[in-house]
Amino acid sequence: MKKAMPLFAACVVALAGCSSMTAPQAWEKSSLAKPEMTMGGDALGERFRQHIYTSKENASGGYGVGGGGCGCN
Amino acid sequence: MKRALQRKKSAPVSAHSKGAVVLAALSLPGVWIAPAHAETAPDNGVIAFKYLHYEDSQPGLQRIKVNSPSLYLMTPIGSQWAVEGSAVVDSLSGATPRWQSSVSSASVMHEERKAADVKVTRYFDRSSYALGVSRSKEHDYASNALSLSGSWSSADNNTTWNLGMGGSSDEIDPTGGGFSGDTHDQKKHTVELIAGVTRALSSVDIVQFNLTYSAGHGYYDDPYKAFDVRPDQRKQGALLARWNHHLLGDQSTLRTSYRFYRDNFGIDAHTLQGEWVKPVTAALAFTPLVRLYSQSAADFYADARVDASGFPVVPALQPGQLNSGDQRLSSFGAVTLGLKTEYKLDAAWTVDLNLEAYEQRSKWHIGGSGSNGVDTFRARFIQLGASRKF
Amino acid sequence: MKLIEAAMAAGLCLALAAPTAFAVDVGQAPPEIDLAGATVAHKLSELQGKVVYLDFWASWCGPCRSSFPWMNDMQRKYGANGLQIVGVNLDAKRADADQFLSQVPAQFALAFDAQGDSAKRFGIKGMPTSVLIGKDGKVLLVHQGFREEDRKDLEQKLATALAAKTN
Repeated sequence: MKKAMPLFAACVVALAGCSSMTAPQAWEKSSLAKPEMTMGGDALGERFRQHIYTSKENASGGYGVGGGGCGCN
Repeated sequence: MKRALQRKKSAPVSAHSKGAVVLAALSLPGVWIAPAHAETAPDNGVIAFKYLHYEDSQPGLQRIKVNSPSLYLMTPIGSQWAVEGSAVVDSLSGATPRWQSSVSSASVMHEERKAADVKVTRYFDRSSYALGVSRSKEHDYASNALSLSGSWSSADNNTTWNLGMGGSSDEIDPTGGGFSGDTHDQKKHTVELIAGVTRALSSVDIVQFNLTYSAGHGYYDDPYKAFDVRPDQRKQGALLARWNHHLLGDQSTLRTSYRFYRDNFGIDAHTLQGEWVKPVTAALAFTPLVRLYSQSAADFYADARVDASGFPVVPALQPGQLNSGDQRLSSFGAVTLGLKTEYKLDAAWTVDLNLEAYEQRSKWHIGGSGSNGVDTFRARFIQLGASRKF
Repeated sequence: MKLIEAAMAAGLCLALAAPTAFAVDVGQAPPEIDLAGATVAHKLSELQGKVVYLDFWASWCGPCRSSFPWMNDMQRKYGANGLQIVGVNLDAKRADADQFLSQVPAQFALAFDAQGDSAKRFGIKGMPTSVLIGKDGKVLLVHQGFREEDRKDLEQKLATALAAKTN
């Protein structure tokens, strides 16, 4: 785990700054406009999935805020 | 050395009617962060329905069954506003163990949870702001939450920054006072924060990094479980990295994500997920999915131990000593295999079917052998949905 | 160390990432572009003397669906007065543009620029973008997006441009 953190941080910095992958111009975004390329996805489906996984595992978070809680199993 | 756990399989599930819902301090996924696109209200609205059927099991115990219909509606109002909302009813039935994986003292229940949320978004030229409210109610647990978020895009629309803040207030009133009989009217308050950036790296690549932090205090014990004493505060952090890559050759899309999680219970967790959206015709697409998960055990997790006769050994605890035998706080790894099918009936209607099979085993914990004596846990679920653009 | 190397790479990338500085300014003459596929003219300069409404569009652009019927209306209403609308398509694949046009027909001139050369020269920042060029050949406005509430204002600007006297 300790070894992974610096590499992960490096990826964050590199990806955030680097445009040797050329940043797309306004008219080159046809692929980015596709629904499967958005980060959101299927609202109801993803909520069900995340709800199930947070019920059966300990980890949670990363996606958004404001969902409230539940006494779920 | 692993010890074989012998279980009294002949014993009927306990008639302890005190045990209604077995609780876990959960925070639900909330407001979804908008993608790095132009900050205008969506072009069209969506109404969607989805039905979930879920079942889980462990050796010797058929556990929980859940049936949940849910509804979602999103509509732009003019070009500067959008409203979205959803509602769900979870119907649970089945049994969960009171101590470790022990079948002989399981609690049977039937429970219903209703929840709804609404979010209003206001769009400006390069930014948007949203306010969300949500509420969840079941007979022994109520939660109210509020959230505020903002999103800002660069001039070229390739980078979007997000900030969000949420607070929730929960009330827990276990049936019959829980396992001890005297747990009533407990409370829990949580504050959550999110900061993220989404960036289009190329015409076919988009990445997102989100950092979330949640701090809460109040009641975290599971009142229906035996010998369950948890800290009265919880701090959790997660770092999520996602990458969507479009393949021009066959118009398919690879979606991958990694999340690192850490909390004050001493648990570290890793989640790695990959899915491949593969259109087969103009109307039909399949998306196979693989998810790998691993977590370490909580500091106060009590290992499952058995005595010479095979009966679970319960710990001798000091007053106020932290302890839990909850399997979900043990060290384990898990694998999910899933397949989603989406079919476009016409320009407005889409139907979808999602199947996932999940298995959790202590020996699948990465870098270690995981907690002892915890049964393999399996879950399966199916989602059936339909949505319409308008 | 990995982190330092990555940070240097990021810094270098940021330094080299300056976008191309083409743009179109109000009050200036627009850049010359080819109008491949259009029957009304082969180059933008050939339309000098008319009021030209250049619309940069693509099949995947949502607001384009509602802008086309409006542009059809405008061409019909003001064509005789000297308005020429030219829709410049920026789809990489012509087939995508044709499919869009079969669902949303265009009753104005169309040009096709799969390479995006014209968009680069105009420094297009968002889709759709429309550029209004007056009779004198100077840019009158650059408008991004297309919303319901934009219609009245744009029509007014068109009418004003058409009413202007040529010197």
